[in-house]
Amino acid sequence: MNSTRRCFVRFMMSTKALVPGASWPCSNLGPAAQILRTFRVSGTVAKKKSRPVRTGYDEKPERERSLVADDDDDDDPFERAAREAGTKAAFDGLLDVFVRRDVRRRGHVEFIYAALRKMPDFGVEHDIAVYNKLLDVFPKEVFVPRNFIQRMFNHYPRQQECAIQVLEQMENYGLMPNVETKVLLVQIFGEKSHPMRKYQRMMYWFPKFKHANPYPVPLQLPRDPVDLARFSLNRIAHDLDARVAVYQFPSTEVSETGEKVSRPHVVGIQSPEQRRLLAEHNPSRPVFVEGPFPLWLRKTCVHYYVLRADPLPPEEKVEESIDPERSFFYPLELDLDLDRDFGDLDSFDVDEVEEGPVFAMCMAGQADQATLAKWISGLQETNPILGRTPILFRLESGPRELQQATESEPEPSAEEEPLHSQGMKQ
Amino acid sequence: MSLNRLVTLSRRVTWGSLIPLFGPNGKVVSNVQFRRLFRTQTPSLAFAKDLFLGKVNKAEVFPYPEISREELEEINQFVAPVEKFFSEDVDSQRIDREATIPPETLEGIKQLGLFGIQVPEEYGGLGLSNTMYARLGETTSLDGSIAVTLAAHQAIGLKGILIAGNEQQKAKYLPKLASGEHVAAFCLTEPGSGSDAASIQTRATLTEDGKHYLISGSKIWISNGGLADIFTVFARTAVVDKDGQKKDKITAFIVERAFGGVTSGKPEDKLGIRGSNTCEVLFENTKVPVENVIGEVGGGFKAAMNILNSGRFSMGSATAGMIKKLIELTAEYAATRKQFNRSISEFGMIQEKFALMAMNAFVMESMAYLTAGMMDKPGIPDCSVEAAMVKVFSSEGGWICVSEALQVLGGVGYMKSYPFERYLRDCRILLIFEGTNEILRMYIALTGMQHAGKILTGKIKEMKKGNIGVALQMFGKKLRDSISTKVDLGLTGKDGVVHPSLTESTKKLEENVHFFGNTVEGLLYRYGKTIVDEQMALKKVADVLINLYAMTAVLSRASRSISIGLRNHDHEVLLANTFCSDAYYKNNFLMTQLQKNAPENNDDSIKKIAKDVLAKRAYICSHPLDRTF
Repeated sequence: MNSTRRCFVRFMMSTKALVPGASWPCSNLGPAAQILRTFRVSGTVAKKKSRPVRTGYDEKPERERSLVADDDDDDDPFERAAREAGTKAAFDGLLDVFVRRDVRRRGHVEFIYAALRKMPDFGVEHDIAVYNKLLDVFPKEVFVPRNFIQRMFNHYPRQQECAIQVLEQMENYGLMPNVETKVLLVQIFGEKSHPMRKYQRMMYWFPKFKHANPYPVPLQLPRDPVDLARFSLNRIAHDLDARVAVYQFPSTEVSETGEKVSRPHVVGIQSPEQRRLLAEHNPSRPVFVEGPFPLWLRKTCVHYYVLRADPLPPEEKVEESIDPERSFFYPLELDLDLDRDFGDLDSFDVDEVEEGPVFAMCMAGQADQATLAKWISGLQETNPILGRTPILFRLESGPRELQQATESEPEPSAEEEPLHSQGMKQ
Repeated sequence: MSLNRLVTLSRRVTWGSLIPLFGPNGKVVSNVQFRRLFRTQTPSLAFAKDLFLGKVNKAEVFPYPEISREELEEINQFVAPVEKFFSEDVDSQRIDREATIPPETLEGIKQLGLFGIQVPEEYGGLGLSNTMYARLGETTSLDGSIAVTLAAHQAIGLKGILIAGNEQQKAKYLPKLASGEHVAAFCLTEPGSGSDAASIQTRATLTEDGKHYLISGSKIWISNGGLADIFTVFARTAVVDKDGQKKDKITAFIVERAFGGVTSGKPEDKLGIRGSNTCEVLFENTKVPVENVIGEVGGGFKAAMNILNSGRFSMGSATAGMIKKLIELTAEYAATRKQFNRSISEFGMIQEKFALMAMNAFVMESMAYLTAGMMDKPGIPDCSVEAAMVKVFSSEGGWICVSEALQVLGGVGYMKSYPFERYLRDCRILLIFEGTNEILRMYIALTGMQHAGKILTGKIKEMKKGNIGVALQMFGKKLRDSISTKVDLGLTGKDGVVHPSLTESTKKLEENVHFFGNTVEGLLYRYGKTIVDEQMALKKVADVLINLYAMTAVLSRASRSISIGLRNHDHEVLLANTFCSDAYYKNNFLMTQLQKNAPENNDDSIKKIAKDVLAKRAYICSHPLDRTF
C-alpha cells in the first residue's frame, strides 16, 4: 500500500513521467478494482495517442526506475509528507502542484486517471471536494464545442471519457455530484457534452435511490465496541421495545500475579416479547447458545450469538382458545358455523417453515464460553427460568479464529479501517 | 339475556309478594328461584337485532312510549326542586376550580333523594322507572361533576346489589346507599385491565374457615373512590369447574370501607368533570365475609357485563339536557352580538350550527326516551344494544354540539371566565367511559351479527354449496330490488304506524333497513365468523344501525307529537324529516362502502397507512423542506 502511494508521489514530482500510471502495480480496492479495468483501456489509448506528444522520454526505463526506487527510497520528503501529514491535504497539494506547473496542463488526462486510481490510498475516495478539484484540473473552455459540427461529433473524446470516468468513480462510491461539479463540467465541456449528460443522469437517479434502503447504515460506524454492538443488536432485533443491556464493559485489569487480564465486552438485547416466550419455555427442554453469526455493516463484519430453543414438537402444542368470559364489553368471537368466503381470502399462500424461538441475542468481545456465560448469567436476572433450564453452548470456531487474528493486530488507524476490514472479507 | 333474568329476579324479589316465600333461610330459596328463572325464557324483544335481518319490529317502537298522567305529575314534582337546586345552589365554576363538590351541595343532593333514584321505595329510594331516571338525568347533567358522581354511585356503583344482590344484601346496604349516607363505587379497572377480564390481578382467597375472602390488589381510576364507603369489587377467585378442574374466575364482592385494608390514593387531576372524585383504590388483605359475594362465586363476569350494559341508557337524556341548556346560552349570545350592523344570528353559517344542535338534541332525546320506555315495558326486554347505541350517538353528538356552540361564541367560548369551555372539557369523557365508543360499536355490530348469523347460516351454506334453488331465489330477489326501489315494511299505508306527514322519511328508513339486511347478509357470506377481525367494516355496520335506530326514534316521536297535537309539533316534523334525509344519504354511502370491491371503501389503504406509521411509531414522511441533493 505504502509503496503504491510512494510511487504516485514520485510520479507527481517527476516532471518527466507522464504515463507510467498505466503500468503501476496497484492494490485493487472494492469498487476501484472495477474502475481499474476501464482505466487500463483508456490508459493504453492515452498512451498511444499521447506518444507523439511526449518526446525524448522512454517509458520503460522510467517505470523500472520508479519500481526500483519504490523499494529503497524511503526518505523522499514528499512521500513522507504524504504519509505523515493528513492525506487529503497531501492529495490536494499534489493536484495543486500539477495545476501550477504547466499552464497548458499537459498530460492532464493521464494525470487524472492516475489520480483516480490512487484516491483510495489517500482515503479521499468519498470526498466530493476532491473530485471537484480533480475535475478542475481540466483546462476550461477549450473543449466546449463552438459550432454544430463539433457538437454533432464527439468533441475531444479522450477528455470527455476521462471526465466520465471521474463521475463514474463517484457513482461507484455512492457519491452525489454537487452544483460545483455541474459548473465545472459546463465550463470544461459545455452544456450538452457527454460528461454533462452523465451528470444529469446521476442527478436523476441518485436522489431516487438515496433512501432506497429502509435500514441505512451510517457511513461512520461507532468506534467504541460497546456502541457498535448496541447499534448492531438494535439493527438485528428490529423491535422498538427491545432493550440493550451491557452485561460487562470492556476493561483491563492487572491481576495480583502481574498479568494483564482483559475483560471483553458483553452486550445483549432482549424484547419483552422474547422474555415472555422464554418464560413460557418448558424448562425440561434445553436452550442453545449458538453462534457466532456474521453481520455485515458496510465493510465491517461483526459477530453475534443467539439464545434459542427448538420448535415445540407437535404433541406439546396447546391450542389457544378464547375464554368466553374475557371481554367485558363485546364478544371476542362469534358462535357461527360460517368461514370466510373463498373470494375474500386475501392472504397469500405462504409455505411457512417453523423455527424455534430466539430468546435473546448478544455480542461479545471474545467468543469463548466463559464470556458468553456472563451473558447468560446476566439474562438470568430478568429471566429466572434460565436457572432451571439446561443451556447448551454450540459455538462454531471458524469466525472466532478470524476475530482473534484481527485482535492481535495493532489498532488500525482511522483511515485504514475500511481497508482493513475489507481484508477480512477477502 | 341474562340481564333480563337477573332483573326479573330482582323485580320479583322486590315486589314483596314473593318475599314471604324466602322465609328464614332466604338465601337457599333465592338460589332455587334463581335457577328456575334461568330456565325460563323471558319474552325477548329485539328491535335492533331484527334490523340486521332487514326487519322492522314495529310493535316495539311504535307508538312512542308514554308515561301515565300521574307518573308525569310525579316526575314533574321531583324535577322542579332539582332544577331549582341546580340553578341556585350549585356553583359549577367553583366545583370545577376547586376540583371538589362542596359538602353542603352534596348534602342538598342527598336530601333531594338523588342518590337513590332507582332504589325501590321499600329500601328508602325513590323507586323511579328508567324513563323517570332519564328525565332526572337531564337535570343533573347541568353539572358534569355531579352527574358523574351520581352515575358512578347508582348507575354502576350500587347496581350490582340492585340487580344481582340477594335479599339480605339489599336490606343491609340499599337503605343507606339510597339516602346517600353511604356512597358506592364500582371497582373494575386495573392498571393492566380495561376491558380484558383475563388481566385482572386483584385476588380474593378464601380463608381457612371458609367464612371470609381476603381481597388484595389495586384498582385505578375509580369514580367516587375517595368518597365511597361501599365498593363493588371484582376479583379473581379459584373456582372448581364442572369437570373438577380448578380455574380462576371473576367474582363480584360488596366491600365496605369499614372492613379495613382499603386505602384510596390522591384524587386524580383530570381534564373535565374535575369535581368528581377519581382515584386509585388499594385493597390489602381486606377481609370480606362470604355473604358479601354478589350473585354466585365465579359469576362476576356476567354481573359486570350486566351492570355495565344497564348503566348506559341515561347518557342520551343527560347529554340532551346539556345541549338544550347550551342552545339557550348560545342563542342569547348570537342574537345580541352585532357585527357589520347585523346580529350574527342572521348569518347562515351560525344558523347552521343552531340547526345542528337542535337536531342532535332532538334525536338524542328521542332515542333516550324510546330506549328507556322499552326498558320499562313488562317482560324486561334486553335493550343493551339500544342503550349502547344511545350512548355512542349522544356522546359523539354532544361533543360536536359543544364544539359548535363554542364556535358560535368565538373567543368568549375559550375563556375560563365563562362556563362554556367547562362544558367542552366535561363532555369529552362521555366518549371514553362506560365502554369507549369503539368498544361499544364492536358490541353493537357483533351482537347483531351473531343474531343474524344464527338465522342466516343455513341459507348461506346452501348458497355456498351451489344449491340452485337458493341461488335463483337470491338472484330473483336482487333482480326485484334493482327493478323497483320501493320497499314496504308496513310502517306507512293502511296499517301504518307513522303519521302521513312523515311518509317520505319513513320510506327512506324502510329502504335503508332493507338494504341493511342485504348488506349484513353479504358481509356474513363474505366473512363468516371472521367478521370479528374486520373492525372497520363493523364500525360502519354499527354506524348504520345507530342511524337506523335514530331515524326510527325520531319518526316514532314526531308521529306521536303530531297525532296528539303537542306544542310545536310542526318543528318536530321538520327536525325528523331533516334528520332522516341526512341519515339516509349517510347510510347509503356507508352501505355502499360495505359492498364487495367498492371503490368508495378505503379500508385497505387506511390499514396500510396505520401499519406504516405504527411500525415506526412515528410520522414517517420526510419534512417538506428536506432535500436529497
